This record gives sequence, C-alpha cells and structure tokens, in this order.
Amino acid sequence: MTALTITRAHFKDQMLQHLRAPGYLVPTLAMPAMFFFLFQGGGESTVGNTFTMASYMMWAILAVAFFQFGVGIASERSTPWESFLRTLPLPPLLRLAGRLLAAMVFAVVAAAIVVAVSYLTTPISMAADRWVPLAAALLAGGFTMAFAGIAIGYWFSPKAAQPVATMAWLLLAYLGGLWAAPSNLPAWTENIAPYLPTRLWGNITWPAVLGDTTTLTTSLTTTASLTDWLGLAGYAVLFAALAVWGYQRDEGTNYA
Amino acid sequence: MFIAELDNVGKHYGTVEALKDVDLRVEKGELVALLGPNGAGKTTAVNILLGQRRPDKGTARLFGRNPTKPAARTPVGVTPQQTAFPQNLKVREVVGLVQAHYPDTPSGKHLLDRFGLADLEGRSAGGLSGGQQRRLALALAFAGNPKAVFLDEPTTGVDVEARHNLWTGINSFVDAGGTVLLTTHYLEEAEALASRIVVIHHGSIIAEGSVSEITASVGLSQVRLRADHLPELANADRIEHNNGIKVIYTADPDALVQELAAAGVQFVGLEITRAGLEDAFLTLTGGGQ
Repeated sequence: MTALTITRAHFKDQMLQHLRAPGYLVPTLAMPAMFFFLFQGGGESTVGNTFTMASYMMWAILAVAFFQFGVGIASERSTPWESFLRTLPLPPLLRLAGRLLAAMVFAVVAAAIVVAVSYLTTPISMAADRWVPLAAALLAGGFTMAFAGIAIGYWFSPKAAQPVATMAWLLLAYLGGLWAAPSNLPAWTENIAPYLPTRLWGNITWPAVLGDTTTLTTSLTTTASLTDWLGLAGYAVLFAALAVWGYQRDEGTNYA
Repeated sequence: MFIAELDNVGKHYGTVEALKDVDLRVEKGELVALLGPNGAGKTTAVNILLGQRRPDKGTARLFGRNPTKPAARTPVGVTPQQTAFPQNLKVREVVGLVQAHYPDTPSGKHLLDRFGLADLEGRSAGGLSGGQQRRLALALAFAGNPKAVFLDEPTTGVDVEARHNLWTGINSFVDAGGTVLLTTHYLEEAEALASRIVVIHHGSIIAEGSVSEITASVGLSQVRLRADHLPELANADRIEHNNGIKVIYTADPDALVQELAAAGVQFVGLEITRAGLEDAFLTLTGGGQ
C-alpha cells in the first residue's frame, strides 16, 4: 500500500473501465484522425501536410484531456462508488494520478492514430530528429490542457461538463489555428486568437515539427519565442489554480 | 483509546442543524447500532467519523487519530452503498482495487469464499443481483483485515438463510476482538446483533443502552385483543388495527385493562407482552417517523 501500489491500482482501474467501454473510447480517439483524413488528407505540400499533422495531434490530445479526463472527473466525482473510494485510506491525489496516467496512455494512442493516418494517406516530410522536440512540445501543452480538463471536471455538473468541453474543444481548435493555419483565419480573430492557449501551444509545436525548413507562412517563425513558452506556462499555472479551486469548492459542497 | 469517538460534535448544513453536541464513543469489541429515522443525523455522524465531512465544532477521532487523514482509516473497513459498483469492473478486480490500499490482506479468493461469492469472481460487479451486491459490499468492508468495520444496512435485500450466515460472520468478527458500528433501518438486525443501541433523532442522541435497557426505558407493553369498538383510552399510547385485532401500546398495562373493563368493552383473546425494540424506537422518535 505504498503510494506506488495505490497509484498503479487506480491506473489499472481507469484503463480497464475505459477499454471496456469501446463505444465511448474509440470515437474519442479516432475522431481527430478521421477529420484529418476527410478534410486535410491528400494535400500536395509536404510541409503543409506535416504542419497539419502536428495540429491534429494537438487536437487529439486536447480531446483526451477534455473528454476522457475532464468530463470523466465530472461524471464520476459525485457517484456513490467514488464516495466509497474516499472512505479508503486513499490520498485523493493518488486517484487523480491514476486517472492522469491512463489519460496520458490514451493521449499517446490518439496522437499515434493521427500520425498513422497521416503517413498512410498524405505525403509527409518529417525529419528524424524532429520527433523528440515534437514530443516535448506536445507534452508541455498536453499537461497544460489536462489542468484545464480537471478544472472543467470540478467546476461543471456531470450534465454540463460534456457540452462545455465540446464547445471549448471546438473553439480552441478553430481559433488556435489547428484546423486552418492562423494566417488563413478571418481577420476578426486576430484580436483574441494569438492569446489563446492552443495558439501558444501551436507556436511551440509547429516549429518543433518543421524545424528550419519552414517558409510556410509569414506569421510563423521557425523557432518558438520565449513569450510563447512563458504564455503557455502562465496558462498552466492559471488552469492548475482553477483546478485546485474547483476541487476545494467541490470538497466544500460535498464534504465540508 | 476509543475505536471511534465524537466529542461534543456539532454540524450545520445551511440553516439545518444536522448534529447538536453529539458525544459518541465506541470501544473495542463493541457492536454499536446507530438507529434513527431518515434525516436524523446518522449519516452525518458516520461521515464525520470517517473523515468525509468536518464538524463545525467538537472533534472526531478514529483510533485516536484525525479521520480526515487517509492513513487514519487504514484499520477501518466500510461498506459501499448499494448498487454502487462500476459496471465495467469484474468482482475480482473490484476486490483487487480495494485491497491495494491495505498493508495486510486476505487472499481475494478466500475473502469471496467467506461471503458466498466464490463462483462470481469473474462476473461484472455492476451486474450482480441485489443480494449479491450486498454480500460484495460486506466483503469489501473486510478486504483489508480491519480492526473495526462500519456497516450500512449490511443485509437489506439478502435472503433469510444468507442473512443468518452473514450475522454469524459479523458475530464471529466481534468475538475475535473486532468492533462494529452498524447503521440500519432494519431493527430486527440491530436487535439480533447489537451489544449497544444508540438512538439519534433531530441531530441529538436521545437514548443509549442495550436492547433490553432501551425497551425497558420506554417501558412500553403491547396489549392485543379483539373488540368491535374501543372508546378513548387515557392509558393508551398508540393503537394499531391489525385484521380485526387491536394492538394497544401502553406504559401501564394493568391500568389499561381496568380502564377497558370499566368502560364495558367486550373483548376476547387478551394478550400482554413487553414491546420490542421496534416499538420502543417508534415511541422514542415520535412514532411512524
């Protein structure tokens, strides 16, 4: 019953529960890859395709952070089973750690499906030395958005969490420039979009995947600026604070 | 040191006073039944003892420690509420998940066997029948070799034979030095198991003692008879009509019978018995909830 044993048990619990609900899991994991295939696949510019592949990987990870992780917390936190688990000698953070580890596995799977579909359907040029920076960029943004997922999970009721997460997922993808490159977005978005967490995340991820080869658009630099990293870190702190606040508020409502 | 202790505990929910200055102490080897109508404060008292809620005033201790610290709950087993099991986990996996939190556990097979669940370990926990879910709930309370268990309605919905087996199991746990805090609506269960009854009503403890002490303190007798019509009876506490039989609850059966005779009531089949725990409970809590 060390912290490790407990975390492993909750990781296994989450993995089993999700793997046995394929009707929910498969669409969540496959949808970003499907949209890539339907709307983006087959483009001629390998640089453009690679850029888009990275965008859809972010979108896929965002889906896991919001739906499987965030909405999962919202729908389970007030169930009698979760109340029973609270009576065990279980530090609440270890249950969360088990959830987070399971979400990370599914995020990797969702992103890998995007990569597989991209390579199978579209000309991609990805230098071998780009995978590590790409993984680092995806991980940084993935954690930031996982904090946002926890915040959604604790601030919204089980019923509200799903539509709220869906709306945030779609808006953040569109304005962030994950569907269409930022330079192709309507002019009115210019007042908000550059400050959104998905845009900052993209600003870090796109250069990571394209390296020095890019001349894709004038709005993109080939290296992420320090401002992008700081901005994303700021969002991570903000979302983590909202998550902790939401958690304490929920404790206060149900367990004070 | 007490196994579980509430020391002058008060708790509000908004303007509702759920507990008022409650003192409750459970000693090692006791089987205490906490009884009360719905909303009386039983659940709040148990939740505070298990660290699920914080008291507004007073202190709660579990094995001498603060129950909101997860490690303080290690020697305690708890039954989950009915129909609470995850749909997608097998019985064996539910047991494994719970056992991962304890340093010393019986083998899962042995545990399931003890609660008559040996054939069900591969079944979906959410798909068990009501009685099977109750038995699994009880098995989970004992999954970590506890020194004390908190049982909530342990045998509701279980058939008679299984119920008596479970009661035997609970009794042998107590005989071996274990401690039980039981909350139940099923008074026969409290009567069969409890070494001490605590009755809680409107957030306060209103009676406390062994089953016979509680029934004696209420001092209620049951007078049963057949009669067509009963007049107003000064000595009757409460009257129930049961298929033509009148059941009269009274503190003074002698005076009641004299009153009946004086009023010229034509009755047959007179029986007088000391009222049971259920009758005492209804009287203490103002009858019929």
